Amino acid sequence: MDRDAYLDHDPDAGFLEPDRRLSQDQRAELGLGALVCVVVGLLVALFVFVLREAWPSFAHNGLAWFGGGGSVDQQLQAISTSGDLKHAPVYTFHAWPLIWSTIVITIGAVAIAFVSSLFIAVFMVEFAPPWLRRILEPVVRLLASVPSVIYGLAAVLVLVPFIGNHLITQNEKASVTPTIQLSGSSLLAAIVVLTVMIAPIMIAVFADGLRSVPRGWLEGSLALGINRWRTFWKVGVRTARPVFVAGTVLATARALGEAVMVSMVSGGVGFAPNPVDGLIFFFEPSRPLAATIIAFTEELSSPPMKHTLYAIAAVLLFSSAMLSVIGWAAKQPMRRYGLVP
Amino acid sequence: MIPMMAVPASAGATTLFGSGSSAEQPILNVLFRAYNRLHASIRFNYLPDGGNAGVQDVQAGRRLFAVNTRPPLPSDSGTTYFKLFLDGLCVAVNPSNSLSGLTVAQTKNIFTGVATNWSQVGGSNLTTTIDPVGRNSSAGSYTFFQQAVLGGATQSSNVHPVTSDGLVATAVSKDSSGIGYVGLAHAGKGSGVKALTLNGVSCSQANIKNETYPLFRYIWGVLPTGHASRTVETFFDWVRTSKQAGQIIQRAGAVPAFNKK
Amino acid sequence: MTTATPTPARSTPKRSGSSASWRWSDRLGLGLAWFLGLLFCAIAAAIVIYFLVEGIRYLRPNLLVTNPAPGVSESQTGGFLDPLLGTLILGAMSMAVAVPVGVGIAVWLSEFGRPTGLARVAESAVEMLAGEPSVVLALFGTILFTVGQLGFLSQTSHGIVLGQSFFAAAAMLSLVGLPMVVASTREGLQAIPSHVREASYAVGKTKIATTRRVLLPAARPSVITGSMLGLGRVIGDTAIVLLLLGGTLTFQAANSTPLLGLLRGTGDTLTGYIYYNAPTGDGNQPSKAYAAAFVLMLMVLAINVGVDFVVRRSQRAVRWS
Repeated sequence: MDRDAYLDHDPDAGFLEPDRRLSQDQRAELGLGALVCVVVGLLVALFVFVLREAWPSFAHNGLAWFGGGGSVDQQLQAISTSGDLKHAPVYTFHAWPLIWSTIVITIGAVAIAFVSSLFIAVFMVEFAPPWLRRILEPVVRLLASVPSVIYGLAAVLVLVPFIGNHLITQNEKASVTPTIQLSGSSLLAAIVVLTVMIAPIMIAVFADGLRSVPRGWLEGSLALGINRWRTFWKVGVRTARPVFVAGTVLATARALGEAVMVSMVSGGVGFAPNPVDGLIFFFEPSRPLAATIIAFTEELSSPPMKHTLYAIAAVLLFSSAMLSVIGWAAKQPMRRYGLVP
Repeated sequence: MIPMMAVPASAGATTLFGSGSSAEQPILNVLFRAYNRLHASIRFNYLPDGGNAGVQDVQAGRRLFAVNTRPPLPSDSGTTYFKLFLDGLCVAVNPSNSLSGLTVAQTKNIFTGVATNWSQVGGSNLTTTIDPVGRNSSAGSYTFFQQAVLGGATQSSNVHPVTSDGLVATAVSKDSSGIGYVGLAHAGKGSGVKALTLNGVSCSQANIKNETYPLFRYIWGVLPTGHASRTVETFFDWVRTSKQAGQIIQRAGAVPAFNKK
Repeated sequence: MTTATPTPARSTPKRSGSSASWRWSDRLGLGLAWFLGLLFCAIAAAIVIYFLVEGIRYLRPNLLVTNPAPGVSESQTGGFLDPLLGTLILGAMSMAVAVPVGVGIAVWLSEFGRPTGLARVAESAVEMLAGEPSVVLALFGTILFTVGQLGFLSQTSHGIVLGQSFFAAAAMLSLVGLPMVVASTREGLQAIPSHVREASYAVGKTKIATTRRVLLPAARPSVITGSMLGLGRVIGDTAIVLLLLGGTLTFQAANSTPLLGLLRGTGDTLTGYIYYNAPTGDGNQPSKAYAAAFVLMLMVLAINVGVDFVVRRSQRAVRWS
């Protein structure tokens, strides 16, 4: 019988054929490897291009780029008008008000969302009645995938007028004019809408992590007489701690990069909210970094403005890259236990 | 990006890329469409990034033409300005404000932060803090307002800067303590705001045409000096002088300046 | 001889769950969990019901089939047919790129993965891409697509490259959807026990043949899940659409070639339409924005239901012994 007869119908068999050229596997490996290199190359190109465009702005300002001094809006206006051919380009830019706004909004939202999501995830995984759990889980997933512009729309139509009409008093407005104008678009609105956006994501990630804790560990603890809450808190939550770190980091990266939704509700003024103002601090308008890019994106064609906007993008790029690294490192302990959530 | 309503495509079409004033964008869009109906192969793509930004685009060769709402400045070297039609910048308040008119000096006080409460402004029934709304720095309207009203000073930091005239009108219509400056097209009936008289003269087409209204202005078409596109020049001529364009401009709320009747 | 039942020295410890073993801090914790859980239910219900009510109030069938038109009042400004088509087109285009590329990368990472240095770099690259703000990707796109050589992907006129088109937006959006596909496919592939692969090699199949014929079909639910999650992210993105699609409310084709002209031209998507019609945008027609938001949420809901369905079906699938 022809030795290869049974192979005639199998086009994929390769090991019985002489190696006249690259085997199938080698070709596949090269092809897929090339694909991987292209994608990695694109990411590298992303970093390189953004940094290259951002360099003039950083070079002119040095570390003062991150500091304060002067009105950031006026600086942006000067940068924009210097784009014509008559003037030398102006790059002076001190982004501290924008950075401060980003920090306050992001950390505020992540802090509130973290605490709430932790308890809500614990509730959802362990203590909710089964019928409620069956409803909650799809709802959390749905809310996590809602496009951010829809949250922004609801916030602009409901939250912002509520804050402007019911929470801000005339006295408060009079006390800060003419430096800034208090309206519903404020720090509070931005923090609330960002919290609502990232909480479902965090809940989903936390719940996944909590579910991957081996039931045996929890049952062992229960068998020793420890009550349900303590068991879940001390054993379950503690085991899944790396997941919490990873989820928080993921949510922080999302919150940092959320441009469109925040630009709709944060007030649109390059002002650093002043905590010394007490309660008014939450009603002050501001504009975080990502929203600044969106606000000035039409003037992208003016070279100095282009370099400045790319500098802001570079800061965002590096922050989220760093957060990705931290998130990856945080998940490692769980991999050691073999519990990949 | 503020969406642009460019005109439909057809075979062998040339697209003319322009940019500039967003205050005039509604009028320009109608003009673009009407012109395209006359010359099916010519289409427009207009980016409303503000009059000042538009001029920079033309200087740098990024755009073929621009539309600006302020007269030429020395920094606009390399470009030539053509008068297209007339428009006015109205100062508008919320209809619930009983104020009917201001002087230019009072307007300046409001927008430079000297006057902060409506009770400091005679003629208003309100006693709340003034909420001024204005344009952002890339807007020709802002530069024009700066020159004509503020005397060159910058807008006070409590003026809420928005990116288009439509947004100014929206903000003022929703805030009873609001005040803002918009082009005539955005201050008419149905816009939700009340236009004030300035120095006793009301913001109307007639007063703009006979130049008695203080804040009248020409809308300028901007082309690069020397190597302008013939197609765009022909378009500008059509806008300036043709009867059809004049009707469109009139209907849109601006004032035809040189058009045949 | 009598045997007395030994009495225990002390009573048996109380069972867990009885009130004696709960400290007040534990009660507090449980109470907080219940409170926040129910609060979340209330807020989630409020959000869902709000959009349902507003959407039904404002969504009219004619909105789905008319194009946006310039006008002053709500009755004149038309519907959102082109933006709706724009969302579908972008979703299809970006997934058409992201799914094959993503599956390829996942296969390489899971089955080949040499040299290990490149594998680590590739893993980190994909994870970093997942966390990048889409605003940054959009800015990168504006550099990339205004380069003269790529002018064929958008429109050029008198030497100016516009750089905004469906191609440009879809290219950047595929980068947004890619990490989901890679992660999910990789998980699916790694869940297949190694004895399956070994059995396939034992009968003489090459690695790539094994992957094609055995592993990928088995991992198909993960691929589908990953693609749908990626699609969800793609249709929800606004920043890339705002910067790279041109924002003309109706399709403005570059020339009259049937499909290519459309894809080289500018347009809009539902997310851009919502942004435009929100009170902070120029259109300022909240009712149209609500209607479009409702349609978009229905699409997202459909995708979620699809993912659920696929996951549940895969759990009933072949179990590896």
